Amino acid sequence: MQGTCPRHEHVSRRSLLKGTLATASGASVLNWGGLFQSQAIAEAAKRKKKHCILLWLNGGCSQFETFDMKIGRSTGGMFRDISTNLPGARVCELMPAISQRMDKLTVIRSMRTSQIDHPGGIYLMHTGYARAANVRFPEMGAIIAKYCGSPEADLPDFVKISSQGNAGAGFLGPRYQPFSLGRDGNLPPFSTSQLTPEKESRRHSLRDFIEEQFARTHKADPARMHREAYDRARRLQNVRHVFDTDDEWAKYGDKYGNTKFGRRCMIARRLVEEGVSFVEVGQSGYDTHGDNFTGHKSLVPTMDRAWSALLDDLEERGLLQDTLVVWMGEIGRTPRINNRSGRDHYVRSWSTALAGGGVKGGLVYGESDQDGIDVKDNPVTEGDFFGTIYKALGVDPETENYSGVRPVPLAPFGHKVVTDILA
Amino acid sequence: MRELRWIVVFVCCVLGGVVAPATGAEPLRDVIDAQVTAGWKSNGVTSVEPSTDAEFLRRVYLDLLGIVPTYDEAVAFLNDTAPDKRSKLIDRLLEHPRYAVHQADVWDMVYFGRNPPGYGTDKREGFQNWLAEQFRSNRPHNVWAGQILRAEGNTVEQGPPMFFVQYSRRPEDAIEAVTQKFLGVQLQCARCHDHPFEGWTQLDFYGMAAYYSRLQVVNVGKKNKLTAYAIGELNRGEVLFTGSVSEQELGKKGTPVKPKLLGGEPFTEPELPEGFKEPRNFPSGKVPPAPKTSRKNALADWVTAADNPYFAKAAANRIWAQFMGKGIVQPVDNLADANPPSHPELLKQLTASLVEHKFDLKQFIREILNSNSYQLSSRGPVTDAMPLWYERARYRPLSAEELLESWMTVGGYNDALKVSGKEPEGRFRPRGITWDYVRRFFGRPNDGVGNFQGGLHEHLYLNNGQVHQLISKQTGSLYDTVAKSDQPWGKRVERMFLQILTRRPTVTETEKFVAHLSPADDPQGRLHEAIWTLMTCSEFRFNH
Repeated sequence: MQGTCPRHEHVSRRSLLKGTLATASGASVLNWGGLFQSQAIAEAAKRKKKHCILLWLNGGCSQFETFDMKIGRSTGGMFRDISTNLPGARVCELMPAISQRMDKLTVIRSMRTSQIDHPGGIYLMHTGYARAANVRFPEMGAIIAKYCGSPEADLPDFVKISSQGNAGAGFLGPRYQPFSLGRDGNLPPFSTSQLTPEKESRRHSLRDFIEEQFARTHKADPARMHREAYDRARRLQNVRHVFDTDDEWAKYGDKYGNTKFGRRCMIARRLVEEGVSFVEVGQSGYDTHGDNFTGHKSLVPTMDRAWSALLDDLEERGLLQDTLVVWMGEIGRTPRINNRSGRDHYVRSWSTALAGGGVKGGLVYGESDQDGIDVKDNPVTEGDFFGTIYKALGVDPETENYSGVRPVPLAPFGHKVVTDILA
Repeated sequence: MRELRWIVVFVCCVLGGVVAPATGAEPLRDVIDAQVTAGWKSNGVTSVEPSTDAEFLRRVYLDLLGIVPTYDEAVAFLNDTAPDKRSKLIDRLLEHPRYAVHQADVWDMVYFGRNPPGYGTDKREGFQNWLAEQFRSNRPHNVWAGQILRAEGNTVEQGPPMFFVQYSRRPEDAIEAVTQKFLGVQLQCARCHDHPFEGWTQLDFYGMAAYYSRLQVVNVGKKNKLTAYAIGELNRGEVLFTGSVSEQELGKKGTPVKPKLLGGEPFTEPELPEGFKEPRNFPSGKVPPAPKTSRKNALADWVTAADNPYFAKAAANRIWAQFMGKGIVQPVDNLADANPPSHPELLKQLTASLVEHKFDLKQFIREILNSNSYQLSSRGPVTDAMPLWYERARYRPLSAEELLESWMTVGGYNDALKVSGKEPEGRFRPRGITWDYVRRFFGRPNDGVGNFQGGLHEHLYLNNGQVHQLISKQTGSLYDTVAKSDQPWGKRVERMFLQILTRRPTVTETEKFVAHLSPADDPQGRLHEAIWTLMTCSEFRFNH
């Protein structure tokens, strides 16, 4: 891996790509190095990479107030349904923008999962596995980072923006831990250097010297890994501007609905554009045990607008075909409306949605019964769902990693990939 | 002379086909070296040279005390000319008060890991203090391991019951953990299907889980401001076996399985008297009464018996790995036929010695540390963190505890505190440091199979984080000492290297550091940078 000169002296692949891509978008930027003979090569290099954006509806969004309405039934609730650009498919009136993008979505209305409480559900729907005492399962983001990320990238390959998830990289190890941005996309603690560039560089040259002295006589892998991680931390400083989104937000705020969640979605698009493999964006507040309808009325339109803008934006930039956008929470909500106008936790029959790279789009898969109490056909378990996502991203869900002596496939043993929805 | 002895032993081994009985006069350290050398020979492996005094010194401090030596300790040892100074140092450190503290840290991680399951297990000072006491008094390993499995008393005043608090009402999880951690046996495959290689069936698994089917975690009230738990055992309750996972159906009720030892007889317990009644749950606030027959204690006795086929071997292998990096069987918790030892005879001898000396850990550790095999250098071309044939010393990352306490030592935080007449506020509470961050960024440096991985967050913390708070400028700190010194820069650089890296700098290093430190612009920044560099470099990050 390590050449004769230290890695950080090389121009990273990402900055090379950026050089040429900026040219592609019309700005006059020096094609320094001239390593890429044409834009086409750069584009091809970029295309090969798959990305995933997870829109995480924390608390558990209601299927009845989104994609699986039961109009006229006692479980149906108070909203009306509207027609969509997909013949025969109807969605909740709270999602006018998404209703016109149904041709891009694959909605699954037959989710049946196993964990009904929040911590258990959050773990399950981030890893594909139920919590176990003796194994630490990795989140989907860590898996995508490992199999779709590029080691030379300057940016972290697993980014979370104000989202939940309680498993992290698990047994995949600290290399794949998420880099977590705050509510407004602000950087996590300790990511900002307190030093002026001159001092940082002075300090770095001394550290570099001592590392090199050690590496001459000590060839063990751990020390090399340690040096490489230090390089990654340094390279991150070179791309800090990517996280400074004020200018872009001024331009696109309206499109994404001028909300915090909208801004996070725009940052996710920007990160994917810059090569990040996995970005998770959180929206909280769906745990509507009381006032389910008021709750959804305030949350869903925000989400509808931001999600739609994200899909449009990705498509306009030619990124949607390589980016899978996953929409889900940890649980669904009960058919029964409780005496506080709320809906409780429900996992026997609920909905998720996919869009973009690897899936068909314009498809509603599976069905619940007339009251939404049970799955009528084509049930999809958490294992099936995760297996399908990995497959859509070109990652074999049977791939095994080890936790101690135990081989653990990416998607749990016995899962079935839902091939009907794959492109 | 020593070499000659090795050869004799080696020839005996090869010609005799069997090795001299462990009770022989042969010290274990010599057996170790003979076997390791034989491994090099038969595999055509070249070993590196012996460690320098400085390498050995840092390694043995970290391995036994979990902390690097102070400047004074380093200088004293390096200047000592006695030929037996290494062996004397080992003896001294085995009696050092921090020996017990650090070994307790190590074994606490074996039993709990970084984020244990179970409510209340994150506050386990009772267990940790109890564990340290076992090492302080050098109680035989099988005795205290048995106490963990008997789980008597409460988690605060006694400590041991905390282990089972992790597996409240989950006998399957409990038996997985006990067989792995105490016996090096991996039963978990057989939880869902008959084991593919080892011949364990699902009934074997549930037969073992049945020993823990009656355990309950009982809150017995506050002690020393902490919630104390006891492990209660009912007189009734069985695990239910529902067949292979692939054949399971929703709502199918399993059949109860009686306790049965691995490869042993079913456990017999007397019938309960006619009309015997007990509540289904132990009430909290009260010490649960002992059951008429304790399955848990029966299993504890079997696990830790001297003739248990796994226990001593698993312990010998695990402790060997603690100091030598890799187990003779690796991973250490999988003593399976399909996973053979690299040095079978050595493992046999280590196990025999541990049993013969009645599980005296100090004796066992002393022998390993006095071997030439342990005392090899960490230099050399081999890239493995833990070389297969032990031809070079192993690398392991310092734990979160070792890092923080070593930083406090080398930056002079502790010295400065002493000068100011203050007491430390606790082991991991230096001013300006959030222990939770250190634990989060450094607590789990490895992937699922034990390979070190550099994490981005670790370096962000080192580059921009609180570690700078430990480069104290108070009187007595390293910074202060070097800044105020009137010695030439070369001498001051030597002081910094000795204090932080436990070695003298090379000529090149002295030149580079003097050139960095001596310019008149920004002397404070330069000195801070130099100390930071030595505290965060790879050489410091690993025990090697």
